[in-house]
Amino acid sequence: MKTYKISIWLLVSLIAFMLAMPASSGAKVYKLGLSLAITGPTSDAGNPYAKGVEDYFRYVNDMKLLGNDTIDCTIRDDKYETAITKRNFEEYLDMGIVFYLNYSTGSTLGLKRDFEEVKMPVIPASFHAGNLEDSNYIFLPIASYSAQAIGLAEYVVKNHKGKTPKVALFVHPSAFGRGPVEDVQKAVAAGLGMEIVEVVEHGKDLDNTAMLQRLKSKDVQYVISQTVQSPVAVMLKDASRLGLVAKTFGEKGKITFMGCHYTGGNDLVALAGDAAENYYWTTSYIITSEPGVGTDAQLALAKRYGRDDKFANSHNYANGVMVAQVAAEAIKRAKTRGKEITKEVLYEELLAMNGMNAFYPVTTVGPVTFSKDDHQGVDTLQLYAVENGQFKSVGMPFIPEYTGKIK
Amino acid sequence: MSYFFQLVVSGIVVGSIYALSALGFVLIYKSSRVLNLAHGQIIATGAFISYGLTVWANVPIYISFLLSMIITFFLAMSVEKIFLRRLIGEPIISVIMVTIGLMSIIDGLIYLTPFGSENFSFPPFLPQQPITYAGVSISYTQLMGVIITFVLIGVFSWFFKKSTVGISMRAVSDDQLASMSIGVSVPRVFGLAWATAGLSAAAAGSVIGNITGLNFDTLHAFGIIVFPVVILGGLDSLLGAVVAGIIMGLIQQFASGYLDGNWGLYGTAQVLPYILLLVLLLLKPHGLFGTHEIERV
Repeated sequence: MKTYKISIWLLVSLIAFMLAMPASSGAKVYKLGLSLAITGPTSDAGNPYAKGVEDYFRYVNDMKLLGNDTIDCTIRDDKYETAITKRNFEEYLDMGIVFYLNYSTGSTLGLKRDFEEVKMPVIPASFHAGNLEDSNYIFLPIASYSAQAIGLAEYVVKNHKGKTPKVALFVHPSAFGRGPVEDVQKAVAAGLGMEIVEVVEHGKDLDNTAMLQRLKSKDVQYVISQTVQSPVAVMLKDASRLGLVAKTFGEKGKITFMGCHYTGGNDLVALAGDAAENYYWTTSYIITSEPGVGTDAQLALAKRYGRDDKFANSHNYANGVMVAQVAAEAIKRAKTRGKEITKEVLYEELLAMNGMNAFYPVTTVGPVTFSKDDHQGVDTLQLYAVENGQFKSVGMPFIPEYTGKIK
Repeated sequence: MSYFFQLVVSGIVVGSIYALSALGFVLIYKSSRVLNLAHGQIIATGAFISYGLTVWANVPIYISFLLSMIITFFLAMSVEKIFLRRLIGEPIISVIMVTIGLMSIIDGLIYLTPFGSENFSFPPFLPQQPITYAGVSISYTQLMGVIITFVLIGVFSWFFKKSTVGISMRAVSDDQLASMSIGVSVPRVFGLAWATAGLSAAAAGSVIGNITGLNFDTLHAFGIIVFPVVILGGLDSLLGAVVAGIIMGLIQQFASGYLDGNWGLYGTAQVLPYILLLVLLLLKPHGLFGTHEIERV
């Protein structure tokens, strides 16, 4: 009986050992972590973002882009709560991650000191320029909210006909929304020829009539939004009802509505319907209504892993794919150099991602360039406008001039 | 002058929708003295059922609105039967704690569906051009919201004043033991209160969903946003909910139209309703139309 028990134990141990062994001897598993809002506020952006990250890492492993080595990225929901993000991050540290992907502005600002302390390279989904202040380890994937808002403001100044254009900023009541306000004000102080008439922080409004009428009475001709799609959709519907939406850019007596990355995309068109026509939006991502190599790859990736059309065409899915691309590329480059993959090595790889070593992910309108002094990945932006229910490119990709002038 | 009247119309529209959203709170409180903190979740559930029936089951939108109200009526009744009936006679705070738990359960269930993290939009079914008169405009969706609110308020007012069941509900609200002693079924009354609250929540959800689009975060927030309306109106008064809702709507629109952006003031539309609430509660602790109970000891 005793021999029988020992045999069973040996068999179980052998199976456990075999299961724990990598598929091929010498193959390594690189642990990464992502904490984001899959449920709760902003989960409409977080959910496709998570799917983008998940799908791209699966693709890297399935296609053996890192040879026999694999990426194991743990993705956890933080419900948009910084306390949960912190807990997730600490658990990821215990798991031995070498790269961390974060999400919200609040948690990125809140955990900035932690990232510094443990010297962890981090790419958040928040493009808040303030993330980079007093920080060495945070890298923005694309142009900051400030750059986006300034880019839109520059477009207004260049294309406005008549006296100094009057602009209002419509922002989310949070660090995320307020992020670019000061920088736009600095750009105006530095000579950007427009007047900021008001900065409106919205609530969960059912009706923006009073706000729109007020802006109209002050001759505001442009509204630049830094928030999420839902409040912009309500505002556009109200503006449409009041007959205030400009049919052409800068139409006199009307308002031209514009917005940064998280205000636009297919969801805005779905929520606002016809009222979204002629809405101007900027982001660094190439979107699927403007097909190209990058969007083909994005759609193929989504199809490969069984995502529905809504996810496949979401710019936030592209957003998630792109940050995963950057992380995988850093690992790949370090491996090519024969280095052991550690957080320190990946940090150095990100800093070296410039000049001839810039990374071209094809999901964005420009290359990803990082250096010791530049932690903003894609500097280039593309302007889009809604035409017949789809976002279409307006002009060529551009880099805002005043972001450099206000540094 | 049209500026002023536009603000009045918008204030009434917003206020009516607040009142409609607040109805569920009032209906439950009126009969059981319980504050249902999961009310926002029920509003969202009603809106999603309505959307699902319209878009996925191809039910004509007006019928899907009605069906969603009926389905939510029975869902809310079931919730009361499963979770709350056992708490009859227990301290009110225990029941309120259960509604907090209920909030988490419904959140969790909705997060399992696409509604938890995606945006949806009702297909347009009303004329897109607004009704405009003398420079004042109102969209058909907003007008529909106002009409639904006043119809439901009228129906519920009649129900509580004239129908036997409604009078039973008021009796239970006054004194459960005395009501039982004259043959009123307290469990049945509680079930009905939750059911009618569910019905009104579904109506509110469908109206809000048509205005803002369907976003879970936005929809369930209305359970909290209308809280000042409920308190100001007096918790157990239907008329109070309507009057307080319209007062809040008007204050928000006038604050936004005349104060915000002037004299360095911003965000007054969000803050003023709460200031007014505090001031009014100092003067009238039971709200505008709340029952002022006198306990003899």
